[in-house]
Amino acid sequence: MRELFARLRSYKAGNIIIVFAVVQITCVVASLLFPREFAYTDTSSIQTLLKSLSPIAIVSVGVGILMIAGEFDLSVGSNFAFTAYIMALIYQCNYSEWVAVAAALALGGFIGLLNGLITLKAKIPSFIATLGALMFWRGMLQIISGGRTESMAPGGFFENIFAGNIGPIQAQFIWAIAIAAMGYLLLERHRLGNHIFGVGGNVESAKAIGVSPNTVKMACFIIVGVLAALAGVISTARVYSVSPDQGRGYELQAIAACVIGGVSLTGGSGSVLGIFLGTALLFTIQSVLLLLRAPGFYLDMFMGILIVVAVIFNRLTKKDKG
Amino acid sequence: MEKSVGGVQEHGAVGSAASLIELRGMTKRYAGVLALDSIDFQINPGEVVGLLGDNGAGKSTLIKILSGVVEPSSGKFLHMGKEVKIRSRRDSYELGMETIYQDIALVDQMDIMRNIFLGREETGFLGFMKMKSMKEKAMRVLEHTVGISGITSPDQIVKGLSGGQKQAVALARAVYFKNKILLLDEPTSALSVRETEKTLEYILQLKTEGMSSVLVTHNMYHGYNTCDRFVVLSHGKKIMDVTKDQTSIEELTEVIMAN
Repeated sequence: MRELFARLRSYKAGNIIIVFAVVQITCVVASLLFPREFAYTDTSSIQTLLKSLSPIAIVSVGVGILMIAGEFDLSVGSNFAFTAYIMALIYQCNYSEWVAVAAALALGGFIGLLNGLITLKAKIPSFIATLGALMFWRGMLQIISGGRTESMAPGGFFENIFAGNIGPIQAQFIWAIAIAAMGYLLLERHRLGNHIFGVGGNVESAKAIGVSPNTVKMACFIIVGVLAALAGVISTARVYSVSPDQGRGYELQAIAACVIGGVSLTGGSGSVLGIFLGTALLFTIQSVLLLLRAPGFYLDMFMGILIVVAVIFNRLTKKDKG
Repeated sequence: MEKSVGGVQEHGAVGSAASLIELRGMTKRYAGVLALDSIDFQINPGEVVGLLGDNGAGKSTLIKILSGVVEPSSGKFLHMGKEVKIRSRRDSYELGMETIYQDIALVDQMDIMRNIFLGREETGFLGFMKMKSMKEKAMRVLEHTVGISGITSPDQIVKGLSGGQKQAVALARAVYFKNKILLLDEPTSALSVRETEKTLEYILQLKTEGMSSVLVTHNMYHGYNTCDRFVVLSHGKKIMDVTKDQTSIEELTEVIMAN
C-alpha cells in the first residue's frame, strides 16, 4: 500500500490522482449506504456529471497548456460565447452548419492569435491582455446580440457527432476525452510539448538552446482559442441555442481546475491527466452538493476552499520533494 | 561522438591555419564603451584555453561573441582558415561550439532526457518525438560521459540534482551533440570544491577525446592546472597570450593584478 502511494506520488499528477480516488471512493460508498438520499451512482446523475464537465474540460486542457508555457488566457469564456454566437448567426443566414462550425473554430483561433500578439508584441502580462479581451469580446457579443438568444438546431450528423450518444456515453464526454488525449500527446510526446515545458520552466535556458519563446507561446494562445471555440460548438449542439451570457466565469473555473490538477501558476509544470482530473473533481463536488440539495452558493464556497487548499497542498508536497 | 574531431594536436600550431576558430581584430563597442579592442584569438584542436582577467576585462563579451549572442562591432571570424559569419546561436552551434553557462542552463522541472534534447529533439511522424531512441541515447551518454554519481536514469527530474550533476548533464549534452569546442563561462562558480574538481577532470577527459575548450575563470589555480594556453584580457585588450610552459602561476597572477 505504501509502495503504491509512493509510486503514485512520483507521477506528475500523483497528488490529484490520490485525492480524486479518495473522493470517488467516498462518494460511491456513501451512495451504496444511502441509495435513497445520495444517488451518486445513478446512471442519470453520472450522465449529468459527465455532460456538464465536458465543455470546461476541453477549455481547461487549453488553458492548462498555456499556463505550462507561462501565460494565462482569461478570455476563454467570452471567446466560447462569442464564437458560438457567430456560428449560430452564420447558420441562421442559411449557410451549412459545417461552414458555421469552421468559422467558429477559425474565429476562436483568431482571438487566441490576437491575445498572443498583444501579449508578446506589446510585452505586457497576458493576464492583462486577456482580461481586456474578456471584456472586449463579451461587450461585442452584447452589441451584436442585443441580448437575444440565438438558436441553432440543424439536427442530423451535427447533432449526432457533438451531442449524440455512443451507448450510455455522450458525445461531449468522448470529445473531452479525445481532446485530453491529444493534449497529452502534444505535451508529452511532441516536440512542441517539450518546448512548452522548456519555455515555461526556464525561458533563458530555452532561448540559449535555440527555442523561440514567442513562437511556442503563440502556438499555445492559438490552441486555447480554438479549444474554447470547440467547447462552444459542443455546448451549442447540446442545448440548441446560444445566449450572450453563456460561458461567464469559465476562465476562472478552468484556471481553478488546472491549479487543482497541479499545474504551476508560474509555468513549467503540469499534466493533462491532472488538468482533466482537476476538472472532474470540481464537477464531482458540484454534483455532490446538488445531490445533497445544497443551495448554489455552497458550491462557490466549496470551490473557493478547494482552490486555496489545492495550492497549499501542492506547495507542501513540492517542498518535501526537495 | 560519431563525428569526432581529428587527432589531438600539440600546441605550437598557434595562429596557423590549423586553428579551429580564429578571431581577428574583434572589437565591440557598447554605447561609447570599448568592451573589446581589436582582439586576436585562436582556439586550436584539442586545446584548453584559459581566458583570464579581472571583472570587466571583456571575457564574457568575447564568449558571447563566439556563441553568437552578441554581434561584434567589427572583426573577422575564421573557421579552419576560412572566413565565416557568426550572427546567431545557430551559426555558432553549426561551427561546433557549445556554451556552458555559469548559471547552469537546464530547465529544472524537466527530466534529464528532455533537457539533453531540448530544442534538438529527434522526431518522426508529424513532429512526434522518438522517446525510446532519445532515452537510450541519453542513458548511453550519461553512462559514458557523466562520471558523477547519483545519476541513474534519464527520467530523473533535474531539480533534484546537485549543481555538479547539473553541470555534468549540460556537458553531456554538449558532448552528445558532437561539439568540437566548449565555451565554458565560469562553469564552476556555482559548484562545491569536490564538484569543481570533477567538472575540471571531465574537461580534461574530453580533451583526450579531441574536444577543445575555452575556460573563463577567476580561479587561477583551476585555470593553471586545466589549461594549455592562457589569454589574459584587461580593459578589452589582450595583454598576454602564452602556452603553459612559457609562464607560471605567479607570473599570470602578477599580470592580472598589475592591470
